[in-house]
Amino acid sequence: MREVISSSLSDSEGKPEFDQDLVDAMRWFDLSDHDRALTSELGDIADDVGERIIEAFYTHLLTDETASRHFRDGAHIAQVKKGQMRYFRELINADLDSSYIADRRRIGSIHERTGVTPTLYIGAYAFYLNKLANVVLDRMEDDPAKAFSMVLSLFKIAHFDMALALETYADTREEAIKARERELSELPTPVLQLRPGLLLIPVVGTLDSYRARALTIQLLEGIQEHRARAVVLDITGVAAVDSAVANHLIQTMAAARLMGAQPVLTGLSAEVAQSLVKVGVTAEALSTAGDLQRGIELAEHLLGE
Amino acid sequence: MTVTVPILRQGSALIASIQEDLCDSDILNLQSRILEDVIRYRANAVIIDVSAIGILDSFGTKTLIEIAHSVKLRGAKMIIVGIQPDVAISMVLLGLTLKDIPTALDLDHGLALIGET
Repeated sequence: MREVISSSLSDSEGKPEFDQDLVDAMRWFDLSDHDRALTSELGDIADDVGERIIEAFYTHLLTDETASRHFRDGAHIAQVKKGQMRYFRELINADLDSSYIADRRRIGSIHERTGVTPTLYIGAYAFYLNKLANVVLDRMEDDPAKAFSMVLSLFKIAHFDMALALETYADTREEAIKARERELSELPTPVLQLRPGLLLIPVVGTLDSYRARALTIQLLEGIQEHRARAVVLDITGVAAVDSAVANHLIQTMAAARLMGAQPVLTGLSAEVAQSLVKVGVTAEALSTAGDLQRGIELAEHLLGE
Repeated sequence: MTVTVPILRQGSALIASIQEDLCDSDILNLQSRILEDVIRYRANAVIIDVSAIGILDSFGTKTLIEIAHSVKLRGAKMIIVGIQPDVAISMVLLGLTLKDIPTALDLDHGLALIGET
């Protein structure tokens, strides 16, 4: 029974997962099984000199102030060195499959999180490759052509590795930016009562259609809740709006008027003013004021105070 | 089933409070009764309260605008009060923004607007 299980397990493991991206990437880097076979032959040399190179590498690394800041103490360095050893052993002979890519991406994201810059990463890689290539050319003096092609294959894989790491850097950054944008668009917009009957709604951040819709509902419900007769919508903190959102703003103001509150739009930036004109809005159809102070004065005037 | 909207007198103002969704003929009926009453009672303002209405279609809105214009021709003004948020949004989306007709939040504000508190 156990044998059956283990053989079925190894079967599924042995089956290469088909991954179009991986196939494309390998083709782009001109990576083949031949390269893998060549670098595998470097295994013995790498194992032999690996530790020495890594020692030299860390001596080099710790001379750099920015780089040395990444390490807390000796124990931390020892731990990272062990990881490094594994990393380069895989570089020599690991199967280039989806799990390899996933692992490289994981390492890339750890580097990104801990603030290892691409320069530091690629520079470190170059140092290691350079040392290793020198050793290989040295030891295989009798067959320099083969040594050279081995090193070339190794460089291909190393470049593939670096590309993966850089992609991960970019992806991680992009995700962070997206998350920030999401946060910004989900910022609640407060409905403030300046005095009985007068509401102020300051809008800050990006106004996309999702947020514009939420704003409409908040504004109309605010009018009802506070029994407002005038509403000042201040969009000083909004840099630009697209025409759909500009349209939505106008509709919101029209709806506010239908509910019996005089709407005043203030703080239009030049870009926003232009978008409004583009959707066919003119100042006649709409009470606007240059800044918040004049907007509030206008609203008070509309209230008859 | 026809719905007859009661028209109340408050000082020199008339108040029509629509309590349920009206069909087209109910609205036309309301239109003629309001105009008759404006003349009969020499009213100088008409308030139509739509706060109980969940939907105001284009025909209803158009008729309200007509009522407002005819009332104006009689020298009185008309105010629509109590448009609910979702009604307001759907009216705006239909392009019905009631440009020339004053609106107010509720009856209270409407009466304040015509100076009948």
